[in-house]
Amino acid sequence: MNWLDLLALGPHVFLVFGATSLLLLGAWCSKTRVILLSGIFVSLLSALLSGIAPPVDGDIAGLFSAGGYARFFTIFWFLTAAITLMISVRFSIELNLNAGEYVALVLFAALGMALLSSAIHLLGLFLGLEALTLAFYVLIASNRRSELSAEAGLKYLLLGAVATGFLAFGIGLVYTASGSLHLPEAFQGLQAEDGHLRAWGLLGWGLLLTAVGFKISLVPFHLWTADVYQGTPSPVAAFLSTGAKGAVVAGFIGLVISSGSAWKDLSDLLWVVAALTMIFGALGGLPQNNLKRLLAYSSIAHMGTVLVGILCQTPTGFSATIFYIVVYVIANLGTFGVIASFSRAGEEPEDLDQWRGLGYRNPLRCTVLTLLLLSLAGLPATAGFIGKFAIFHAAIQSGLVSLAIIGIISSLIAFAYYLKVVIVMFSPESQADRPSPGEPLEFGVLAACTTAVILLGLFPGPLFDLISKILP
Amino acid sequence: MSDHLLSLMTFFPLVGMLIVLFLPREADRLIKSVTLIFTIIVFLISLPLAFDDVFLTSSAMHYTEFAEWISIGQYFQMNYNIGIDGISLWLVLLTTFIMPVTVLSTWHAVDKNTKGFMALLLLLETGMLGAFISLDLFLFYIFWELMLIPMYFLIGIWGGKNRIYAAIKFFIFTAVGSLLMLVAIIYVYYYSLQAGVAFENGFSAAHFAQLSIPVEAQMWLFAAFAFSFAIKVPMFPVHTWLPDAHTEAPTAGSVILAAILLKMGTYGYVRFAIPLFPVATMNYTPLLATLAVIGIIYGALVAMMQDDVKKLVAYSSVSHLGFVMLGVFAMNLQGLSGGMLQMINHGISTGALFLIVGFIYERRHTRLIVDFGGLSKVMPVFATIFMIVTFSSIGLPGTNGFVGEFLILVGAFESGLRWYTVLATTGVVLAAVYMLWMFQRVMMGKVTNPANANLKDLSAREVVVMLPLILFIFWIGVYPNTFFEKMNPSLENLISQVKGKQQIAILAEQQLDHSVTQVSVSE
Repeated sequence: MNWLDLLALGPHVFLVFGATSLLLLGAWCSKTRVILLSGIFVSLLSALLSGIAPPVDGDIAGLFSAGGYARFFTIFWFLTAAITLMISVRFSIELNLNAGEYVALVLFAALGMALLSSAIHLLGLFLGLEALTLAFYVLIASNRRSELSAEAGLKYLLLGAVATGFLAFGIGLVYTASGSLHLPEAFQGLQAEDGHLRAWGLLGWGLLLTAVGFKISLVPFHLWTADVYQGTPSPVAAFLSTGAKGAVVAGFIGLVISSGSAWKDLSDLLWVVAALTMIFGALGGLPQNNLKRLLAYSSIAHMGTVLVGILCQTPTGFSATIFYIVVYVIANLGTFGVIASFSRAGEEPEDLDQWRGLGYRNPLRCTVLTLLLLSLAGLPATAGFIGKFAIFHAAIQSGLVSLAIIGIISSLIAFAYYLKVVIVMFSPESQADRPSPGEPLEFGVLAACTTAVILLGLFPGPLFDLISKILP
Repeated sequence: MSDHLLSLMTFFPLVGMLIVLFLPREADRLIKSVTLIFTIIVFLISLPLAFDDVFLTSSAMHYTEFAEWISIGQYFQMNYNIGIDGISLWLVLLTTFIMPVTVLSTWHAVDKNTKGFMALLLLLETGMLGAFISLDLFLFYIFWELMLIPMYFLIGIWGGKNRIYAAIKFFIFTAVGSLLMLVAIIYVYYYSLQAGVAFENGFSAAHFAQLSIPVEAQMWLFAAFAFSFAIKVPMFPVHTWLPDAHTEAPTAGSVILAAILLKMGTYGYVRFAIPLFPVATMNYTPLLATLAVIGIIYGALVAMMQDDVKKLVAYSSVSHLGFVMLGVFAMNLQGLSGGMLQMINHGISTGALFLIVGFIYERRHTRLIVDFGGLSKVMPVFATIFMIVTFSSIGLPGTNGFVGEFLILVGAFESGLRWYTVLATTGVVLAAVYMLWMFQRVMMGKVTNPANANLKDLSAREVVVMLPLILFIFWIGVYPNTFFEKMNPSLENLISQVKGKQQIAILAEQQLDHSVTQVSVSE
């Protein structure tokens, strides 16, 4: 590692430094709000730093890229962490959490996401993913008053450990076959048809995909999702469903782009996985009466669509996928933000019955939720529609017509459950208990997410231009 | 100003919506007044279109506006590309005309959460107008879906007992169709790029119509478009959402649904499905004409058996729209112009019928025919208006319905759909049966139910709501030329284009047959 590497890692180092100081500060300072606000400040500043840092040639210690793609996602995940902290303020005050720990964990997770998205080495990938997952093991169980939260934490821990095993073993096999862990070479070694180790390499790829499948909950590795989402406090669930999944996808896209055609043999398998994920995500959400479980199935369906975009294996497909991820993250952050803003002392309105008639008493937040859900559903004039349109357009262009039709049909099925929530909110019969009035920081987050969803729906051009510039 | 007349007209309701959203929730009367004023202003903005003589001679698009809207690298481009011609002219005016009438009709009918209701009505108006003036298929799709959402909420929140079921059914049916259409749109777009249509043209329907898409592909694409539009029309057998939606929707929702949203389907055929895929149109004509005739007769028979007035009117829509479809697929000037006129007629007379049902429902909170009887003695003004509208719906000479149905039947008969026409004519008879029978049971005879004895006649507001509709019932009935002369140039142009392409396809096929026979002979 040299001076230039350190310069490129500057924002990350700053983030870690900030997170550690806040962790220590938490031991003396009992003012939760102050620590959280400083956490928000640290992550925003790191995002700014990586935005204004001069471009660096080459990579960081051969592990992480310092290119535009990596930088884009570094900024994006740091912002996501800041938003997560903004919607966590009331939650951590009301539950009297140890703020230092909480902030540090969120920031460490963000660091993991940023590293994962910029990995160009299989070890870098592993490091990033583990940094992210370890933080989440604790974050998910952070509501110690709730049994469900403990259960969710345990479930995530066990499955996360299994996935780590698959990942490590898969990386080992790829190394055996190709003799390299650095990204283009690690997979280019597999392209030679005559190599007798190619089978092992493909097996390694398969195991790696299994680990990815666990993390972004592709069918058949999706079974944990609904339970974990239900038990996780909504600020953490917001982070889990956006950053944790999005970063894995971002890292995976990097992997796929650099590996070229090495995994062609697996694409039929992935075709089936994508189709099943979209269908299960759509059908599984239908009977749900718990908003968070419903959002879990929604995220499963979204990841299926993302896989369609990756399967296109064209620049069109990749940029559509990145756009889709960005929009998905924004809409999901906002959606969980609305839930968090209604929650009181860790008690969240989860059952759809608790939402009945809320639209009349809190019209503003419910309208925001409606817009965000419509974007998740992919209805026109929202960003979600452009994202879906771009992905299915790319799919039709690269000959995946039947997959696009399956995707369109399943997003149609999913409409039913998104709209169910909206109808329930605006039903005249209302429930007795009063949810929290929310606070300015939360409203700020909601306003930002809603604006972004509408603006990106009407003018998606600039973001697409940016994405096509940074695509590695 | 006339440069941006269409944009102004389309987006002005959105301004109204924003203003309504910022009004205090309790100011019920104020919200309704503001909405009414905005819809009237939109009508006034659109009024110059009706007097513009350019439509008399020219079949081209007028008042066009073009701006690059979404351009994403080298992947795809969508344009804000709008315009109006003789085909969309009267539908746009129908929309801007029906909206104030609808708002006025809800004066007492909606009292809970008026703000949301009025805001959605205004959003709906933007969606409908936008769909009628879009020349870019992508833009059309966006407006098409934009109409869906407010209507879904209007039914789902302000509807009757089974509103959620009806709303979801309405949504699922329409969304299935529109998503299939989306796939077809993307496919055509992709094809057009390969065929050399410039990237800057985006999803321009006019450019798509210039393509000669292979017949095989046309059949699939037309099927996707036709299915989507058939659901909206609705044609038999995908009409089942309509009675549910109408029964549960509030009066204003029913009026807009019947008067305008259903026209979106038939308009879609005329504007997009037929000119884009002329050869497929020719091949599918027997199928669609059969479905249209089944719709005419089936709708009428089912309407006859209804005991709920609103359901009766809903099924009569299925029958009437069957006529429109028959006229459109006759593909000659009489049929097509009859079909276009009948769209307007149906909007006026069925809209009026739903208003009438709303009037009696507001008074008695029931719509069952058996609960009424002898109303003409208690409510003479109402009886007169109801009778006129009934005659218009049946198609009595002198009213608008006659002109439309007559032209459709003549057109279809001349175009070779002879037997279909014969069968369809029974629909006219059946319409007289179910409408008159209903009228007799509700209005004639003695007042049997004491609850009806003291019903109030129509108020001044209600008469004001109905008068413009009545005016047009007679205007179109007596002098339909006002309307025909402005739509005919566009329709003639459409017919000649479509027929031309169909001729080429037929000739090509004959030549192919010919060469095949030659080859077999030489062997």
